[in-house]
Amino acid sequence: MSALAGLVLLGDLDLLLHEVEAAGSRQRLRKLGFVLDGLPRLTAARERLARGIERRWMVGYERARQRYGRGIAAVRERVCLGCFVTLPTSAARPAADAGTPEVMGALGLCASCGRILYWS
Amino acid sequence: MALAIATPVLDSSLYIPELKARTKESGLAQLVAVAHRSGAVRGAGQLLELLRLRERLGTTALGKGVAVPHARSLTVDRPSLVVARSHRGVEWDAPDGLPANLLLLVLSPGEWGEEGHHAFLARAVGAARLQRNRQRLLEAESFDEVASVLREAYP
Repeated sequence: MSALAGLVLLGDLDLLLHEVEAAGSRQRLRKLGFVLDGLPRLTAARERLARGIERRWMVGYERARQRYGRGIAAVRERVCLGCFVTLPTSAARPAADAGTPEVMGALGLCASCGRILYWS
Repeated sequence: MALAIATPVLDSSLYIPELKARTKESGLAQLVAVAHRSGAVRGAGQLLELLRLRERLGTTALGKGVAVPHARSLTVDRPSLVVARSHRGVEWDAPDGLPANLLLLVLSPGEWGEEGHHAFLARAVGAARLQRNRQRLLEAESFDEVASVLREAYP
């Protein structure tokens, strides 16, 4: 699994974990009839997944997650859906500008909010 | 955004009249493949892995032959409901031990909040909870008949 694929899965998994850990949300899911007794298994899977992602990307991800609740955001029509700022044309799709402050290897960071960008 | 769910719900490309899968694993794979082919999903592999992890949290089978696997993911481009039937049934670890004959895969985009995703999910669960609806969905001979049941859940 590529670093970006791992980070996307990690972002989705963190959303799911939050749904289960937040009392109101957990209650809603239980009321719908869902069984939610495997939280430790999910937490362990999250740890394994995070261990497999390169540290520099995890640092960026966790920094944004601590600050905003989400460490990765989709990009649609050049808009970061985390902060809704239109990305400059210089914030090209990954790979083209590796080495600039906004890009870590093949992964882009939003220059406005710092979230990792998942381009459509 | 959470309420703008009627159009993709009634998409015939997200309907599987007879699922070939016999196991939960292959059932999830077929559901995701259909969503991917329709263009509703980008990273099929990541979504499938997320759905597998969701099943480890607890089964998404609700009993009475219904399973509602679900995910909120960055790989989902638009809210989608994949409807699949299996007259033979798929083993889904249901609390009542019955195989799933009716599968509703609920997919919300990752940017949605929990409440929007849960509202979307609740409508699918509500549609399948009524015995009359389950029967209509299982006996439907065309997608239009399936869509008419879903329209009541997603007006």
